[in-house]
Amino acid sequence: MPIRWKIVCSVFVMVVFFRVESQRQLAQIRDADVAVVVNPDTPVSNLSLVDVRKIFLGDRQYWSANTPVVLLMRAPVARERDVVLKVIYQMSESQFKQYWIAKIFRAESVSPPKVVYSSDMANDLVTALPGAIAFVDSRDVRSGTKVVRVDGRLPGEAGYPLR
Amino acid sequence: MMCSRSLLVLVALLVRTALFAQSAPPLPAQEPSTQALLDQIQQLQKRLTDMEEHQRRTDAALAALLSSKDIIEKTEQSSPPAASVVEQGVVHSDHDHAEVREATVHYPSLQIRGFGDVDFSATDQKGTTSGFNLGQFVLHFASPLSAKVSYFGEVSFTAEPSTYDLSVERTIVRYDYNDYFKMSFGKYHTPIGYWNDTFHHGAWLQTTISRPEMVKFGGTFTPVHFVGVLAEGNIPSGGLGLAYSAGLGNGRSSVLSKAGDSGDINDNRAWVASVFARPSRLYGLQFGGSVYRDKLTPTQGRDFDEWIESAHLVWSKEHPEFLSEFSNVHHRDLQTLQTYNSQAFYVQLAYRLPWQQNKWKPYYRFEYIHRPNSEPVWDISGTPSVEDLVSSTVGVRYDITNYAAFKGEYRNTRTGMNEPRVNGAFFQTAFTF
Repeated sequence: MPIRWKIVCSVFVMVVFFRVESQRQLAQIRDADVAVVVNPDTPVSNLSLVDVRKIFLGDRQYWSANTPVVLLMRAPVARERDVVLKVIYQMSESQFKQYWIAKIFRAESVSPPKVVYSSDMANDLVTALPGAIAFVDSRDVRSGTKVVRVDGRLPGEAGYPLR
Repeated sequence: MMCSRSLLVLVALLVRTALFAQSAPPLPAQEPSTQALLDQIQQLQKRLTDMEEHQRRTDAALAALLSSKDIIEKTEQSSPPAASVVEQGVVHSDHDHAEVREATVHYPSLQIRGFGDVDFSATDQKGTTSGFNLGQFVLHFASPLSAKVSYFGEVSFTAEPSTYDLSVERTIVRYDYNDYFKMSFGKYHTPIGYWNDTFHHGAWLQTTISRPEMVKFGGTFTPVHFVGVLAEGNIPSGGLGLAYSAGLGNGRSSVLSKAGDSGDINDNRAWVASVFARPSRLYGLQFGGSVYRDKLTPTQGRDFDEWIESAHLVWSKEHPEFLSEFSNVHHRDLQTLQTYNSQAFYVQLAYRLPWQQNKWKPYYRFEYIHRPNSEPVWDISGTPSVEDLVSSTVGVRYDITNYAAFKGEYRNTRTGMNEPRVNGAFFQTAFTF
């Protein structure tokens, strides 16, 4: 093969590589999974998506008789919150607010989920508060928290539902 | 040679193009690429996060400054003074402690929420006047008293011609053992059917302007309130999502629309039991049934057994929303042993339109009540009661904000077999604060 064609082929391969890598990085930015993290002492390591929904709807309020669930939610605009509203609650922001007002008004729950303003804050509180559960971008999960499998899958695995 | 040079230039250009696509921002004249937009979004998100973080740290430091003397003294002993914390930025561990302290529930921790509404009505019924009126002004209180004990209260102020009627609608102290057993004492909305236990006194919570006639406040068809003890919780049932409630209480007072707040009218306790399911595979679906039993003494010397059976089927999502409920009220005269059955149901359909940020929600409701002409309980008690109701309501709800809504509806109602149909237009602004 003439040298010029070798060069052209090499350049083509390089271009394709950079393009693919670029797209992969973009996909990672856009589609990073949202991890469900709990306090390390929480007696759970795998939850079904239905269980996660029950917990965040306030229908399941105790991990065990002595450990109440403490819900933590990212503030509006955060991507984790958007994913949770879309996949777990299947509600708009407005419906979510109305849901919790009604829930408390029906005397079914004492308070709505606590609002956290960053992944760091979510990690800190999950580590410190017994029974706490939160959603954190899988790239921001910090040691000291426990990542829960959802439907038997961890973030990054095929078929993981929270993305 | 010339060809090789051209090739090298081409290579250089292609490599530059590839690198450019990965990292460099677009020229202003160019169409912004997805990469550039994502980069900008990332930068903005980072800036927002940094600003939020900064604000939160400042708030936490200020909160530490303003906290009690004890806390300040402890902080002075174990960490730099709060003032210097503000100047230097919060030390990470102190910052974490402030976050945890803020997030930890303190007992008691009272939360108050208010509801109100302003209404306008006009009908073609003879003898009525059109005009504005204030709906109920409702205050709701919720306070955890410990990790397992909590309090809920609800009071309403209802406009009367010369004053406001203050009423304790609910007052409940509850002990949660776990998800399967929660016991409470107090005054409830009787867990019969769906509406009465789901929508309380805030009109903002419900789609329509008014409650169905069968569960109307001040109505007598079913007992709206219940004073006593109630056990409730989930039933281990996998994906079926079963839950229960069972209560024992005073039942109706001599005024059938009221519960026996100050004591029972007779020595017989009322009881209620209900079971409902929320299948996990059909998120939004709820169906269930309930039974209520009481002995009524509407006037001295006249006793009636009362059995109420109720069933409901609900799709609570708003695309669409479907509510339906049926109740049968069975009365048995303990003197004559004659029995009477009255039935009521409603079907309500609504749909949250996807346009204009989901603010519009049109709805329709059909209601029906039938009670036999010979049914004596309501007549003996002197409490007005609808004999035969057929009513259709068409309306629309517009959510002005997340916490306020405007509703307008048209109703066509007939309240008795030989009564004329009444047409009415109703408007309401309902809000929570």
